[in-house]
Amino acid sequence: MQKRPGTLKRKSEVLLRNIVVTAMVIYFTVFLIVPIIIAFAGSFHNWNPLSGTYDFLGLKNYTNVFTSGLFWTSMLNTVIFSVVVIIFRVGLGLSIACALNSALVKHKSFFRAVYYMPVVTPMVAVAFVWKFMYNPQIGTINDILGLDINWLMNPKTALIAVMIMTIWKDFGYAVVMYLAGLYSLPSDALEAAKVDGATSWQTFRYITFPLLKPMTLFVVITSIISYIQAYVQILIMTEGGPGTATYLASYIIYDEAFVKYNFGYASALSFVLFVITAFFTWLSFRVSGNQE
Amino acid sequence: MRKKISSVILNIVLLLMGVVTVYPFVWMLSSSFKKNNEIMALQQHLLPQLFTVQNYINMNSRFNFMRFFANSLFVTIAITVVVIYTSTICGFVLSKYRFKGREVLFGFILSTMMIPWCVTIIPKYSMIQAFGWIDSYSALIVPAMFSGFGIFMMKQHIATMPDEILEAARIDGANEFSIFHQIVFPMAKNGISSIAIFQFLWAWEDYLWPYLVINTKEKQLLSVGLKMFNGQYSTDYGALFAATAVSIIPVLLIYLFFQRQFIAGIASSAVKG
Repeated sequence: MQKRPGTLKRKSEVLLRNIVVTAMVIYFTVFLIVPIIIAFAGSFHNWNPLSGTYDFLGLKNYTNVFTSGLFWTSMLNTVIFSVVVIIFRVGLGLSIACALNSALVKHKSFFRAVYYMPVVTPMVAVAFVWKFMYNPQIGTINDILGLDINWLMNPKTALIAVMIMTIWKDFGYAVVMYLAGLYSLPSDALEAAKVDGATSWQTFRYITFPLLKPMTLFVVITSIISYIQAYVQILIMTEGGPGTATYLASYIIYDEAFVKYNFGYASALSFVLFVITAFFTWLSFRVSGNQE
Repeated sequence: MRKKISSVILNIVLLLMGVVTVYPFVWMLSSSFKKNNEIMALQQHLLPQLFTVQNYINMNSRFNFMRFFANSLFVTIAITVVVIYTSTICGFVLSKYRFKGREVLFGFILSTMMIPWCVTIIPKYSMIQAFGWIDSYSALIVPAMFSGFGIFMMKQHIATMPDEILEAARIDGANEFSIFHQIVFPMAKNGISSIAIFQFLWAWEDYLWPYLVINTKEKQLLSVGLKMFNGQYSTDYGALFAATAVSIIPVLLIYLFFQRQFIAGIASSAVKG
């Protein structure tokens, strides 16, 4: 409430504020702060709910994480996965948004609605659709491309297959973001470039793209954060296999926690990912802070 | 002339991308109306040569799949309604009231959005066990009652409402509860609709949490049911396609119905944020 001179804070205002703030504080304490504390404590223990063990281990879980071959394999896979998917997401998103924004295209909102469709569909179901599409027996991808590849069973193609599916699912988000960015560009800069006789490539290279930099940053950072946490497509399509070819960082946590019930080890791993996520979030605030 | 050619090329490229985007849905839907021998045939056709709804009947009679659908619908709607209400009222208090600690609280709520699911899920699971909520819908609904994203969105949205309207109502003697319910809530409907769709989608597609806390098959939700179904009937492709279609089509319909508000909502969150 504004400090209105001469007006006292009203009773109902104080009451409403107290109820809402108390509810928020209780909720976030119980379902966020307390779990984080429990997980942090647990990450120093040999914690297995099935056998009922909870024994102090010190830093053992953390050293186990960093000496585990599977952890580094999964980190490498996560980096490859994120870099490739983000390049395509940004590339496709930006070029399609620019195309849609040009005067040459009608039915903009139709295209936009179509590209955004995969973004809103449930991941579990969509992952199954793609698993079937990749299936060499019933699938349609080999038929269309005239290939004979067992996409998800071949260690060379499995990660690529999952990446293609993720690009398909996520590029529409970047299209919508970039379109919003393009709409909010100052039209006078673009007008001035036109008057000066800049080609459309020059306009894009020297005006549009630099002005869209905050949006690019936003898309890249939110993508990194969400791909560090991605596991559903792996769970459905490959379960990490063949071998360890498609293990992603978050999939190991799922596997350790809810298949093997190594709660302590999984918690340690979670905190490693938490720190990585926090680092990227901090980086995004820093970089975007410098922009303004 | 040149302009016309590039316009045609551009439109063709965009259309091709559109076809690639839509194709998996069309293929899935069309396969769900094929018989199994046609799905596995060497010679593939996109459209069913022999149209059948048997897959949908099988999916339901063998696995009671529509039960999962109803469960998901109930839980998802319950979560969405609660989150809409809590997000709006928290957004209202955080944007229109000034009080000590407001910025800290809001900063804290923002920071909750970057905490990965994996950090809290193990302790949350142990806590739900300790509360004795395993296998009940409280385990699904109560931990989802507030949303950091929702509060953030509604705070941004309600902040743009003019204070004069609230002032006028206060002068007329309305108390804060009726100001919120009768003025702010109806005025926030654009923000509400974008949160509603997101929250609906997130709750609808959630896999791990219902998988962990629900044990009885009859209470299970759609995403988990779909995976269970795939595990048990992994060769009845027709029925699997039908089950997948049932999990996807309702969400697509809601999206197509509300897509304008939806896209406007998500885009504005990024431009402002």
